[in-house]
Amino acid sequence: MKPERIKYNILNILFSVFALVFTCSFIVPDPVPFNYNSIYYPYYPFFSSQSITYAPEFSLTSDSVVIPLKRAGRLFLIEAKVDDQIGNLVFDTGANGLVLNSTYFRNHLKSGGSIANGITGPVGLVEQISIGKLEFAEITYKNIKADVTNLGHIENRRGFKILGLLGFSMMRNLEIVIDAKNNELILTRIDKTGKRVNNTNPEFKADYLQKFETTTNILFLKGKIAGKNLNFCFDTGAETNAISSDSNKNILNSLTITRRSTLKGVGSARSEVLFGRMNDFSIGERQITEMETIISNLDALSEAYETRINGILGYNFLEQGTICINFVKKQFGIRFTNKGEK
Amino acid sequence: MKKITHFTLLFIGLFCFITTQAQFTPDKVCRIDNGHLIFTINLKWSVKEQKELMQLFDLDSTLIAQVFNGKTVISGEYEAWKIKKVKPNIVELSKPVDSTNDKNIKINDLLLEIDKWRNFNGNTEDVSVIFGVNDFKLPTAFNYNNNKAQFILPAYKLAGKVCLSGSFNGWSTTQTPMKRVKDGWIIDLSLKPGKYTYKFIVDGKWTEDPTNNLRESDGAAGNNSVVYCCNHLFKLNGYKNARNVVVTGNFFNWNPDGISLQKSNEGWFVPIYLKDGTYTYKFLVDGEWMTDPGNQIVRKDGDGNLNSLIGIGESYLFKLDGYTKAREVVLTGSFNGWNHAQLVMDRTETGWQLPYVISPGNYEYKFIVDGDWITDPANPITSRSGDQTNSFIALKANHLFELSKFQDAKKVIVTGSFNGWNTQGYQMFRKGAKWILPIYLSPGKYTYKFIVDGTWILDPANTLYEQNEYSTNNSVLWMEP
Repeated sequence: MKPERIKYNILNILFSVFALVFTCSFIVPDPVPFNYNSIYYPYYPFFSSQSITYAPEFSLTSDSVVIPLKRAGRLFLIEAKVDDQIGNLVFDTGANGLVLNSTYFRNHLKSGGSIANGITGPVGLVEQISIGKLEFAEITYKNIKADVTNLGHIENRRGFKILGLLGFSMMRNLEIVIDAKNNELILTRIDKTGKRVNNTNPEFKADYLQKFETTTNILFLKGKIAGKNLNFCFDTGAETNAISSDSNKNILNSLTITRRSTLKGVGSARSEVLFGRMNDFSIGERQITEMETIISNLDALSEAYETRINGILGYNFLEQGTICINFVKKQFGIRFTNKGEK
Repeated sequence: MKKITHFTLLFIGLFCFITTQAQFTPDKVCRIDNGHLIFTINLKWSVKEQKELMQLFDLDSTLIAQVFNGKTVISGEYEAWKIKKVKPNIVELSKPVDSTNDKNIKINDLLLEIDKWRNFNGNTEDVSVIFGVNDFKLPTAFNYNNNKAQFILPAYKLAGKVCLSGSFNGWSTTQTPMKRVKDGWIIDLSLKPGKYTYKFIVDGKWTEDPTNNLRESDGAAGNNSVVYCCNHLFKLNGYKNARNVVVTGNFFNWNPDGISLQKSNEGWFVPIYLKDGTYTYKFLVDGEWMTDPGNQIVRKDGDGNLNSLIGIGESYLFKLDGYTKAREVVLTGSFNGWNHAQLVMDRTETGWQLPYVISPGNYEYKFIVDGDWITDPANPITSRSGDQTNSFIALKANHLFELSKFQDAKKVIVTGSFNGWNTQGYQMFRKGAKWILPIYLSPGKYTYKFIVDGTWILDPANTLYEQNEYSTNNSVLWMEP
């Protein structure tokens, strides 16, 4: 589903190099072009580890910063400077780190490589590079590692220069407030217990809080459809929500189907995509009706994250309110825009 | 009487029920049940409704024809589909939900499909706007003179940082910081005449211009402020006792509501942005039509009425040397919809010429000499559309495609996203040791390639390239605003 969701850390790179040597010896290259993308199909290195050890040098000049997000359709962009390149990073919590666009970074020093795995198996090589400096708003990271892949398709669809994707890993030690309505990302320093540092701003007041358990940079949320508990990936880079097409029949029965497409693949193959609305979604006590969703196969995503994923909460969920994420407290909070909906 | 009323109401209710049942409602036609995708179809749906069904749900016309022809078994390549009659005239068409791995999907196709479903056309600026006037609450909050624009934000004195972001700087959130002044914030920018949308960013927060009444949706929940950098002043001296003066013309489809002029010491005026081109107009003074007394250039319309005439932008002199014995030469091209009679050229001692005002852009054209269509013999640049070869001109070209080497090549073409990857054009021409083509490109991203004697190559002088759908590469070019 999400090719850019590359889990990387030192162990991972070592394992990946091993995987590359190991797999290249007997795997016939898949004819499918290595097509990175943001919505559905994850590509991930073999033997990915879930522990987070990667911590680039980081500085933030004040205790809190408001970052204006640019909108490109349903994507949120952060203006950034990566070494000498000025452009935009897609704020993509489905990406596990920094993924850069090969158009602008293919000539940077290679620091490693790994096999990227698609639904049908290994489909390409993700190269890793070292970046001297990444700057956005008042934040500077130094000496960071990034994966490099082709993100030209996002540029071509959205008309903005896309330097790469920015996931949660770069901001795990900050309180993250996403205000989609006002196109703002507010990052605040927190201490080791997760409390704001030297901050006089009022604490975020959530209508609903959910503790999450994750050792990765990907956030999973519990939600319900038709009374069934489901595991959703929270993904600001997903331009629409998604529900697994092999979900429980009561869940699928509760959806309204409004569109269908059969997309042509390589050769004569065709694949079905359904588009509709979730009528009976709830998170905590809050019921949210009529959220747009795609109905698709999510097996590969589940496999990539080594956990069963029933769906993705993307743009349509972000629209519902202001979201606060604190990785230290392992807490997700949402303040709903529409206070009346129950 | 009461019985008749009841009967009538019952009849109307029954009629409504039947028509509602028969009506095609996209949200209700399809459902998933027990792992099956099921369409509930009324066999009385009109041809139009059947078409809508096919389009919304990507159903093949042959399949739907079988359903509406009353078939009970689907034949051919649609064997997965089953038909079941559930009521008179109501059938269910079903198949298992496809939950297999979509390994062959091209993801970009899926995303484009989603864009199509939402009618999203990308972040494109509206370049088609023909005219516009500003509407600031505080007239001094925006000034424009000689391509210099000044934005003033008379507020947020306590803010730490304010930036201006808009269509003129690619909506950069960082590249245009404003200067702090006594009463707020100010910035001077070099801008060409045109329409621009913008917002201020006050300490990271997007903020509409509080002094500007003109705004349009930002595509999300808010609005962008709109400003016009004006390139013309409509002025009417005198008429100080008039209550209302407006101007209207072909740029406004001769809307009699017109654009209001403001009163001044000398009379009336309104600054306006007009897209490059030629316009006819008139003033309406308290409802009375009149040509512009300050403009001696007039033109008769089809009904014989006189209208004032203005040309905005620079004119380009089209010339054809020779053909001195021809009776008539007409200029025609993509700039006038290939009209073969409109632009009759003027005879000179050595040939023919016509000055013509057109906005910056890329155009194809031909001359029609006594009915014979010919390319411009003085212009080496051509473009081909199907069997036709046309002359090509880039007015106010802002980019030069260059290809060094390949001096022995017979034909070099540059093609890309700017011309729909037309493999026959634009044909470059040799200048010294290089093949060149000047072109006008509006701001944005372009992908392109050269075709050297039939062989596709990347631009060797450009380090930026990306993989395309054929697993080869295209050169990448960004034109800054």
